[in-house]
Amino acid sequence: MSGWTAHLPVLPVVLPLIAGAAIVLIDDGKRPLRALLAVLATLTQLGVALWLAGIAGGLLHSPWGGEIAVYAAGNWAAPFGIVLVVDRLSALLLVLTAALGLMTLLYSLARWDRAGVNFLPLFQFLLMGLNGAFLTGDLFNLFVFFEVLLAASYGLLLHGSGAARVRAGLHYIAVNLVASLLFLLGAALIYGVAGTLNLADIARKLPALTGADRSLFDIGAVLLGIVFLVKAAAWPLNFWLTPAYSSAAAPVAGVFALMTKVGVYALLRLGTLFEPGGRPPLFGGDWLFYSGLATIATGAAGMLAAQQLGRLAGHAVIVSSGTLLAAIGLLGNQYTPSLLLYLCSSVLATGAFFMLIEMVERNRSYGADLLAVSFEAFGLADPDDPTGPDDVVGIAIPAAMAFLGLSFVMCALLITGLPPLSGFVAKFGLIAAALEGAAGLTPVGSWALIAALLLSGLAGLIALTRNGIRVFWSNARSTPRLQVAEAGPVAALLLLCVALAALAGPAMDYLQGTAATLHAPERYIDAVLQAEGAGQ
Amino acid sequence: MSLLAIILLPFLGSLCAAFMPANARNVEAWLAGTAALATTVLVASLYGDIQAEGVLRASVPWAPSLGLEFSLRMDGFAWVFALLVAAMGTLVVLYARYYMSPEDPVPRFFSFFLAFMGAMLGVVLSGNLIQLAMFWELTSLASFMLIAYWNHRVDARRGARMALTVTATGGLALLAGMLILGHIAGSYDLDVVLQAGDTIRAHAWYPAALALVVLGALTKSAQFPFHFWLPHAMAAPTPVSAYLHSATMVKAGVFLLARLWPVLAGTEAWFWIVGSAGLLSLVVGAYLALFQRDMKGVLAYSTISHLGLITLLLGMNSPLALVAAVFHIINHATFKASLFMAAGIVDHETGTRDMTRLSGLYRAMPITATLALVAAASMAGVPLLNGFLSKEMFFAETVFIDRPDFQRLGLPMAATLAGMFSVAYSLRFIHCVFFGRPARDLPRAPHEPPGWMLAPSALLVFACLLVGMFPAHTIGPFLAVATQSILGASTPEYSLAIWHGFNLPLMMSLAALAGGIVLYQLLLRRRADTVPLLERLDGKRAFDFVQTALSTGSERLLRILVSRRLQVQLLLIVVFALAAVLLPLTADRAGWTLASPGLPDPAFALLWLVGGACALGTAYKAKRHRLAALVLSGGTGLATCLTFAWFSAPDLALTQLTVEVVTVVLLLLGLRWLPRRNDASAPDIPTSTRLRRWRDRSIALLAGGGLGSLAYIVLTRPAGEGISPFFLEQALPLGGGLNVVNVILVDFRGFDTLGEITVLGIVALTVYALLRRFRPAPESMELTQQQQEHSAPPPDTDAVLPPGPMAVPAVLVRLLMPLALLVSLYFLLRGHNAPGGGFVGGLVLATTVILQYIVGGTVWVESRSRLHPPHWIALGLLAAAAAGCGAWLASLPFLTSLAWHGSLPLVGELHISTVLLFDIGVYMLVVGATVLMLVALAHQSLRAHHRKPARAGEE
Repeated sequence: MSGWTAHLPVLPVVLPLIAGAAIVLIDDGKRPLRALLAVLATLTQLGVALWLAGIAGGLLHSPWGGEIAVYAAGNWAAPFGIVLVVDRLSALLLVLTAALGLMTLLYSLARWDRAGVNFLPLFQFLLMGLNGAFLTGDLFNLFVFFEVLLAASYGLLLHGSGAARVRAGLHYIAVNLVASLLFLLGAALIYGVAGTLNLADIARKLPALTGADRSLFDIGAVLLGIVFLVKAAAWPLNFWLTPAYSSAAAPVAGVFALMTKVGVYALLRLGTLFEPGGRPPLFGGDWLFYSGLATIATGAAGMLAAQQLGRLAGHAVIVSSGTLLAAIGLLGNQYTPSLLLYLCSSVLATGAFFMLIEMVERNRSYGADLLAVSFEAFGLADPDDPTGPDDVVGIAIPAAMAFLGLSFVMCALLITGLPPLSGFVAKFGLIAAALEGAAGLTPVGSWALIAALLLSGLAGLIALTRNGIRVFWSNARSTPRLQVAEAGPVAALLLLCVALAALAGPAMDYLQGTAATLHAPERYIDAVLQAEGAGQ
Repeated sequence: MSLLAIILLPFLGSLCAAFMPANARNVEAWLAGTAALATTVLVASLYGDIQAEGVLRASVPWAPSLGLEFSLRMDGFAWVFALLVAAMGTLVVLYARYYMSPEDPVPRFFSFFLAFMGAMLGVVLSGNLIQLAMFWELTSLASFMLIAYWNHRVDARRGARMALTVTATGGLALLAGMLILGHIAGSYDLDVVLQAGDTIRAHAWYPAALALVVLGALTKSAQFPFHFWLPHAMAAPTPVSAYLHSATMVKAGVFLLARLWPVLAGTEAWFWIVGSAGLLSLVVGAYLALFQRDMKGVLAYSTISHLGLITLLLGMNSPLALVAAVFHIINHATFKASLFMAAGIVDHETGTRDMTRLSGLYRAMPITATLALVAAASMAGVPLLNGFLSKEMFFAETVFIDRPDFQRLGLPMAATLAGMFSVAYSLRFIHCVFFGRPARDLPRAPHEPPGWMLAPSALLVFACLLVGMFPAHTIGPFLAVATQSILGASTPEYSLAIWHGFNLPLMMSLAALAGGIVLYQLLLRRRADTVPLLERLDGKRAFDFVQTALSTGSERLLRILVSRRLQVQLLLIVVFALAAVLLPLTADRAGWTLASPGLPDPAFALLWLVGGACALGTAYKAKRHRLAALVLSGGTGLATCLTFAWFSAPDLALTQLTVEVVTVVLLLLGLRWLPRRNDASAPDIPTSTRLRRWRDRSIALLAGGGLGSLAYIVLTRPAGEGISPFFLEQALPLGGGLNVVNVILVDFRGFDTLGEITVLGIVALTVYALLRRFRPAPESMELTQQQQEHSAPPPDTDAVLPPGPMAVPAVLVRLLMPLALLVSLYFLLRGHNAPGGGFVGGLVLATTVILQYIVGGTVWVESRSRLHPPHWIALGLLAAAAAGCGAWLASLPFLTSLAWHGSLPLVGELHISTVLLFDIGVYMLVVGATVLMLVALAHQSLRAHHRKPARAGEE
């Protein structure tokens, strides 16, 4: 290895680690310095992530002579040491993490970072955990990074305190501790049978496992599957999500929009790696599909029943998880590119939505807090005199209102998958893929998926219009005051979605490449196991 | 290129309009007018090309892999429609300039107006099905924004929401339908799809595609039974109603049906679905229009009825009917828009649109009245006006339809009936508002509007007359171009003459005219305010009911499917894990062998018996006796330590021991702040609770038993080939250490350790952050019993030793301090070769610090030394990271160990490795994290003390 570019794959882990630790060292009094450090670190992560994506996508010169980078930490080659692997999928998620992270961080600097201690270090550690989980090629190391991101998420969720946060936070912690225990059990079982922790090595040994060994392996894998389903918020393992996300501080909820996708990523990664040797249950297949459908259904029902925007957004996250799970669960690889586009789009949109909600709700006056549903059921506030003059003049609305309104509409379009933004392109791709499946392998399942996609979009639309109208167009409201530091990140995230739609062509090209690498796991396995290190 | 400009111009205008100041009414109008006019001119200028080439195309690649392309396609039909949209837009902008009040925020109006225009042109000119569906939804969205323009009004908000919900639902259906069509045809390109008509009609999915596309079209065109949104959309400003809800947007549905006519039409299903929806809308709409009080209400229902007429024509599966449909689309747009403008003028100048209050306006506004009169006559189908021509064609089609008997009879009769209604409501619209006694007590005194406000309406009425009298010379060529482009070679012969002789259609027209007049006379006598017969047919109420039912139903569903209780969630996770574990077992695989355990050593068995008993005791006592439970859990921990030691794992034993000590002590310190349990045990536990407990017990047993057996099976099976021999063999040669565990931790898998210590640091920081804001329960605020008995004086920081019984322990503990420090350093340094390491060392040091705090008291300890535990954490992490990054200098991957072996004077032979730096990082972090948690807990009681005197002072 030569040249510092060779160390790019490990930077997404090391950078936030060093930045987080350094921020702890700086006094609370030097806030600008802390903030500057955090922003610089995150910005650099974004740069590194983009660079890695460029290399993985074949756009930039590759220092390791190939699209898949394998970085042996401690110079111990797989399967003995821990390797970090960058392929297109990992790079994509790194970019997503850094982009969302940067925007939520900027948003938080407007005021949220002062709501408690150690926000900025915890935020960096969260990014470290996310990046590590997307990078690692080792099962136990995956567990470690899950712990890093979870520990940081505990802290961030509790950031700002308050009874609601602590209650939801402690539930969240309890659920995740149980999940971590299951993860450890699963990893131990797999290690016990396969004798290795390296994912590629496990995948290579999988076909050779027979009889009881294979059953034990499957039991371990199934436990992992449960863990990932808990993280991905599949019904009925997702009750913790809505209270936690809706009570978290806005930027925290914003970055949490990505957290459920870690579970999805893990299912996708392990599922595709195990594919040639036979997927264990819960890594793709019927179970996943049905749980995805159930998740969509409960999420959609939750959106319809939601009386608060925060809960609505929480359920939107659940719907997006359900969509991903159902699409992963269906037979056929044609879903993968659109599914990944959907993942990116929904993460950016829900992330922006959580922050937007906070800005909107902050500006709401007391009178607007009437519950949306009862508002409708009882036809309250309907005093309009039908015989009165019709040309009542409107009220001049300042630009802040226009910004909030426009952003809300864009979020709604993205979440429901209505045109013309990226949410639509993704849903369109999924439906088109499902039609292919309907004509081929999975007639019933594909139609069910199409119906679920359309109906959940419709439910979202109904819920979002109702809540949007109530929030934005109720008569009693004060003029909002927005800071550029808050509005900017939300706008940037939404613009990213616009760009994702406008550049759907190149984006889909990259994602199709991603899907191709993902469904040809032998490339990943060969790359990992042939990488050199001191160990051999 | 000019095709692209046609779409882009309105959108650019919309963007500019959005950024103008709120009161720039004139500038806005000029901008919008210019944009619309330029678009009109552009469209018109393409007529020659259309005639010459037939179809114009332009496309920009977008996402080719998805089959998406931004493609524009203009044929004759699209040209006529685009011209309609653009020209109407221009006229309505002019009208709106005078209609909108100076106080209205016009940027929003014109911005959405132009955006709608762009979207509508997009629908018309789309050469790709998916793109069409996209623009389709955009028109719905723009319509939503425009209906809710006066969003402070409840009816506007409701109307907007209803319109959006209905049309967007249809849009989703349309999207699905388009996808199916594209799938069958193999491309979303309109040209390809239009060629694939036969394939599509023969395909098994044709009914689904048809139903979905038609659903989209019917919702958009406000056709029965989805018509109810249109009357409520009348809450929009009148220009919007004139433009969107009569002339253009609602026509999108029929446009689509005509566009896809060559592909979808020609089947029985088409006839029945499209035809019956059209017929019902035609009759029901006209009937309901009779009973409206609101001028715009009449026009809205009349629009439903006329769109029904067009839909019915399209549903007849006859090319001639299609020609009539296209013709009527144009005619309806002209007279209906002008009528809307008239209604708006009346509203604007009198302040009301209520037909029961208005009358005799002819005297005050003769020009308006004349214009409205002519337009209404066209709507009624009076000869010499354009409405008459297309209606005549419609009647002819119903008469000559080639269907079985009852349809041949029923259709003309229904058509005549609808014609009668139409005449009656047109008559009522004019007579009631403009004739009769002059109305009194109107909100404003009526007078003629400014000339420019009348101009658009006048122009449209002029068009009605012109087309009505000289159809072949005015509309003829355009109609020919439009129908030619849809039907191609199968375009039928038709004549646009006014006079076709005395035939059945003419008789029907006359009957409708006469019947309408009679009907109006009857209607005049009526006083009731309700709609006879169809009073119960209220789409709005059904819509509201569905909406409410949806949300309450969802709520009920959620109550069943989702719980907010933690216990339920945890139970479900455990149950699902259990069930999932059974999945692999269902696969029938051989090879389950259970190794016999052999007889264990009695001492070891006893150890485990004690450990197990402690674990059970912990679970049993956890609810009511936390202290006991904690102590018992310590017992289990010790048993685990001893087990490690028993199986020759001194490193693990040592670590486990120190971890056990520190965690139990910290938990003990925390116990003080937990709220007291309600110890009053209920005398009789309800059966449901008993059952629940038994259920939980059995699940716990199953889970625990399953886990135990799994562990047993894995532990007793022969070890397979794996990576562990490598670690054992290579620890010394490659790792440079004798202690394999330590080499694994800091070298082979140092990356894991780096993550784990980060977790520890994060947890400590989180605990600190949480406890800083922690407010204990009121009942645990008061001093403990012991503290009250020995009412201790405030701690004296200058005293060498604490007074009282703690003096002796204090001496001992302080003596321990340097020793413990030495021991911890010893463990740290020897770790690589013998049991020990940074983790254990750190815990040893942390333990003595804890002892200092416990015995000396927080105040005393902190008056003498100031540890900055967060700094220890940070420095520890940085040290470990630095050890990792150091390898970069040697161009080696992160965390590669670099060693230096040599001898120094005085010190002797020395082996220094970056691994040591890493372990020092671990050491510092462990100290920092543990002490930080301790400090957070310790300060809790300090703060409680501080708070007490403060409160006493207040009292």
